[in-house]
Amino acid sequence: MTKSSKEPLIRVVKRQGIKTWQICLLYLGAVILALGIGAVLLLFLKANPFEYYEMMFTLNTVGNKMAYIQYETYIQELVPLLITSLALSLAFKMRFWNIGGEGQFFLGALAGAAVAFMIPTSANVFLTIFLMVVAGSLVGGLIGLSTAALKVKFNTNETLFTLMINYIALYIMRFFGETKADWNIFLRPDSERPKFNQIPDNAKMFTIPIGKFSLELSFILVILLVAVVYFYLKHTKQGYEIAVVGDSINTARYAGMKVNKVICRTMFMSAALIGAAGALRVSSVYALSDTISNDVGWTGIVVAWLAKLNPIGIVIVSALITILQCGSVVASSNFSNVDSHFADLLQGIILFVVLAADFFIRFKIVFRKKNTEKQSKEANV
Amino acid sequence: MDNNIYAIELENITKTFGSVVANKNINLNVKQGEILALLGENGSGKTTLMNMISGIYKPDSGSVKVNGVPVSINSPEDSKKYGIGMVHQHFKLVDVFSAADNIWMGTEGTGLLLKKDRYERISEISNKFGFDFNPRKIVANMSVSEKQTLEILRVLYYGAKIIILDEPTAVLTVQEIRKLFDVLRRMKAEGHSIIIITHKLNEVMEISDRVTILRKGEYIDTVNTSETNEQKLTDLMVGHKVNLNIARVETTFDRPLLEIRDLSINNDEGSKAIDSVNFYIRGGEILGVAGIAGCGQKELCEAIAGLRKVEGGQIIHKGDNIVGLPPKAIIEKGIAMSFIPEDRLGMGLAPSLSITDNMMLKNYNKGKSILVDRDSARVKAQEIIDKLGVVTPSTETPVRRLSGGNVQKVLVGREIDAGPNVIITAYPVRGLDINSSYAIYDILNDQKKMGVGILFVGEDLDVMLALCDKIMVLCHGKLMGVVHAHKTSKEELGLMMTGAKDISLINGKVAGIAKDSRIEETKEAEVE
Repeated sequence: MTKSSKEPLIRVVKRQGIKTWQICLLYLGAVILALGIGAVLLLFLKANPFEYYEMMFTLNTVGNKMAYIQYETYIQELVPLLITSLALSLAFKMRFWNIGGEGQFFLGALAGAAVAFMIPTSANVFLTIFLMVVAGSLVGGLIGLSTAALKVKFNTNETLFTLMINYIALYIMRFFGETKADWNIFLRPDSERPKFNQIPDNAKMFTIPIGKFSLELSFILVILLVAVVYFYLKHTKQGYEIAVVGDSINTARYAGMKVNKVICRTMFMSAALIGAAGALRVSSVYALSDTISNDVGWTGIVVAWLAKLNPIGIVIVSALITILQCGSVVASSNFSNVDSHFADLLQGIILFVVLAADFFIRFKIVFRKKNTEKQSKEANV
Repeated sequence: MDNNIYAIELENITKTFGSVVANKNINLNVKQGEILALLGENGSGKTTLMNMISGIYKPDSGSVKVNGVPVSINSPEDSKKYGIGMVHQHFKLVDVFSAADNIWMGTEGTGLLLKKDRYERISEISNKFGFDFNPRKIVANMSVSEKQTLEILRVLYYGAKIIILDEPTAVLTVQEIRKLFDVLRRMKAEGHSIIIITHKLNEVMEISDRVTILRKGEYIDTVNTSETNEQKLTDLMVGHKVNLNIARVETTFDRPLLEIRDLSINNDEGSKAIDSVNFYIRGGEILGVAGIAGCGQKELCEAIAGLRKVEGGQIIHKGDNIVGLPPKAIIEKGIAMSFIPEDRLGMGLAPSLSITDNMMLKNYNKGKSILVDRDSARVKAQEIIDKLGVVTPSTETPVRRLSGGNVQKVLVGREIDAGPNVIITAYPVRGLDINSSYAIYDILNDQKKMGVGILFVGEDLDVMLALCDKIMVLCHGKLMGVVHAHKTSKEELGLMMTGAKDISLINGKVAGIAKDSRIEETKEAEVE
């Protein structure tokens, strides 16, 4: 045969029958590789990568008497990201590209704060938080519903609409933060310059003390939410409708589904959950700000996709990304020559390498063969 | 040229995918100026073999010779270099480009600029082979047949001498097929070698010089077309004798189940797709719908299923007008519609979902519970897999991983399982091999015996003549008449399909209105 002389050195072949543990191993390898690249960059910054990573991954809790504060911060950061990612996965499952998480979060936070400032300070803390969440989810949900309604009615592009609402919401937030006026309940009355006020005590997040550590109520809620979303997508009729509409709108219509209703309902839920996350965030950090979202609307998109829209995967990915973010803030405070934005850089590298690993899960690279039989078993239809 | 030298020659080609042997020791050769038909059932390895010639796959072993010289084809570029061109079943075109730009895109050595003369140069080639073709037309605006013409032109433009056509007639009308065959003959006369993959035996007999038959990935035989016939080819292809006759089950007809009166429907562009059409289906009857592709068949099916707006007229089901009802209500009345679109997956199935999940597509909403009943869907999926012989690893396999025939079995199986009283089925055997097709005909006949009324929108006139009780013919959305299948002929149907014969109004009697219509009955009742 003459063909072997002409065969290219490297070929890409589709993989078949890859096992779950192999997939886990590949992802793990990808993360380690990304950390390796990060280590090289750290060396350039004249920091010891081992010390840096140790501090980052342990959140500097080892032998630290104040470790519980780190855990509290960690939970505080994790909750909004987890809720937002779950909420986005609902819309993404339906192939509705809700990239308006930021806007929905801001508006939810504003609505939550409005309830906090308006409710009598004598009100019960549970009632107050409950009403804040209701207000946040209603406002967020209605904004989401409006983009869905425009989509089904006029076939507008949901990506553009949800994106643009992010900026509108951001500037509404800034408007309230910078406009000193009698009606502006969000600002501190005693300050000459416009400044966001702290919410009253009865709107502050309820915590359950476990030794020195206090567990936020919202963490328990979010764990419940994971279970609910998982069950909803997998076992309910509405979850089934989301899957069918996402897969083929024609088929959904043919099956007698009210496609427009499904789109509007799901988008309302997605945005309402994000709005609720915003309200909970206000209750948890005690004040509004124009950085209150901490970019969860964007990070949530990454989390949802890295987790392949699987609720359990979303828990794992968001837990890891939050470690990265909290950890690098902690670590950079101990390493004067490494900026806290190193986390963003590292996150980018990890994302890139994990996506590359994704490629290797679906395909494999075959070098010019020496053994014909062996190779023939590797190909796939 | 020496007669012993073949334009392309394959020897002992073997290709495996994982544990599946797709091709085993295949031999195939084509002379210059010859048309070779490659015949085989679904999954017999035809497309795999052709993909190896066109450089998409590489054989595990065996040799390929072009003009007697051993070659190694590692990529589509290699294949192009050796003068091999393939026209795929699924067109590979850029929708927003013009025809000429699609061709120009892959041409080597034309520089970076779009030259103005590309239109003329492409017209020249298309005239040479007798195509009627506008190179400035945008692909998105083209009909299926025009797209195919473009694909063929493209390989000719690249200078291909060996041309492979993968099921080119599956998407064409009778007239278009005739045109295509004229072109193929002209190409043959020019000295091109052509390999044509098809399921349709009459086409094999008509166009090919020789036939190579594959069965389950193995090479069976190569025969001269002039020395064989359809029966012999079928035997070679399926391995055992298949009765080509489709049994028409005799049943006693009930009163009309579904009556269509003066029905008018628009297509997506807003022009009339169905124009004042009358017909009716009785229980225990199969009514065939014949017509050139795109004559309103799709719109008719969609309108009956409630998926398309009805502009005028009535659809009476058991005496009730169902025009304007939502699809769900129509499903609940027992009207099942299964439309197999050209891509086989577009309507009726959710391709990424499992067979189980697709089973509950139409009845997931039954009962008050907010939960879906996946357990009984799984049982149903297993039943259909067993009963219809669906080849699948499990009930949880996504439908899109199944081969075409199995996808259709899943769809038809589900529709019948719902126990409908009217079945609307369009192209149920599209692209299926003989055995799978017969399995579907049997299913339909069983339903007919049970008193179900069936509307069968078909392509193959032979099948319709054998299977249907009556055949209605559409031409540009108008009813040309309804004929009894055992009293008509292919010629008559052909004339009606092209509009040359219109028997929709004879002696003042309008075709498609039942004598014992339930519509008149209701009207009379109202008068009384």
